[in-house]
Amino acid sequence: MGWLPFGSSDEGGVKKTAGGAFENPSRTNRAKCYEARDAFFECLDKNSILDSINSPKGREAAKKACGQEDVVFEKSCAHSWVEYFKKQRVVNYQKEQTIKRIEAQGGEIEAPQLPTRGS
Amino acid sequence: MSPSNCLVSAVRALRPNAAKSLNLQTSARRTASSSSTRQLITHQSALSATQRYACASQCWANGLGRQSRTFSNSTSRMKLKTVEQIKARNKGGPFNVTAALLFVATAGGLYAYFTYEKERVARKRIAEQTKGIGKPKVGGPFDLVDHNGNRFTNEDMAGKYALVYFGFSHCPDICPDELDKMALMYDKVVEKCGPVLLPIMITCDPARDSPAVLKEYLKEFHPEIIGLTGSYDAIKDTCKAYRVYFSTPPNVKEGQDYLVDHSIYFYLMDPEGDFVEAIGRNFTADQAAKVISDHIKDWEGPLKKKDRWA
Repeated sequence: MGWLPFGSSDEGGVKKTAGGAFENPSRTNRAKCYEARDAFFECLDKNSILDSINSPKGREAAKKACGQEDVVFEKSCAHSWVEYFKKQRVVNYQKEQTIKRIEAQGGEIEAPQLPTRGS
Repeated sequence: MSPSNCLVSAVRALRPNAAKSLNLQTSARRTASSSSTRQLITHQSALSATQRYACASQCWANGLGRQSRTFSNSTSRMKLKTVEQIKARNKGGPFNVTAALLFVATAGGLYAYFTYEKERVARKRIAEQTKGIGKPKVGGPFDLVDHNGNRFTNEDMAGKYALVYFGFSHCPDICPDELDKMALMYDKVVEKCGPVLLPIMITCDPARDSPAVLKEYLKEFHPEIIGLTGSYDAIKDTCKAYRVYFSTPPNVKEGQDYLVDHSIYFYLMDPEGDFVEAIGRNFTADQAAKVISDHIKDWEGPLKKKDRWA
């Protein structure tokens, strides 16, 4: 993570610790982070990029097409959150595809849940 | 020749005296049966006498009916003159609007009652699943510090229902959503049942979540939410008691950036500190509030309405 300077001195971003974590994960800070995330993902969608973290190819493509949004994303969120959201995007897509595939085959999806009523 | 006759003749052949006594017995039995016939006849005559009496009382009643006094004000059958009038009155047979309404109301009432009872019994079973010996135990003693820096143990939960959630302030998206939901649930339950629920958030990240951090963090969700923290070991023991999985690195450096993986259920605990039900993410705030309120309404023991700080 050497290509982004971390620290509380970041201009235009939220206050962060030296390790890249939020100093204060308040509601306003979270909202800013979500906004930056959505902007970055919108850009990825436009450029048909799914994975921006797991493969070197994906990282390269994301940096090339949405470098600007990525910088804002990193500034607005804790670094761990950025990684989390980028990985979650891939996982969510795969989950969606699996559900679509099973439903196309006529199966029914039942999310695993705690037994609550009558079981 | 029937077997009994055969026996009689055999006895006769062997002992004439014995046969005679046997004949005597038979005739005695015949006399008895004829007397019972006579009794029957007497009964019949008594019956006809009753019939006669019944007729007499009916005639007397008819005599009364002929007088102008009647017991009801509705048009009596006798006053309906023509066949058409009678037919019109009896057109629907025994079915009319009143009967239909009564039937529907009774059926609806019974259905509602049995549905309610069925749900109540199901809830009771869930609530009592963890009571008693040999049942899976969720929850138990803990010794932590609340967001104001005061000691908070499981004893402080006694007398009220508690909604326990495990999370951490640096949680990216799920915990904030769930805590917002918790605030909604709490308000709905208090509206229905009064202040008998303690909303508690126990951090899985004691290294970063000091009482001050929790206070700052939780007041944005709901001022009533109690944040609990403690030493790493105290938190670990609490999570273990509640069967909560979490993965906080035990030795973190100051300012280090990391996420904590943890189970995301609300645990509803009853006023005796026993686990009642787990509420997952699949519940909406309304559904969860209903589940909690229903359990609270089922509770027959004492409930503390006062706050411990009040």
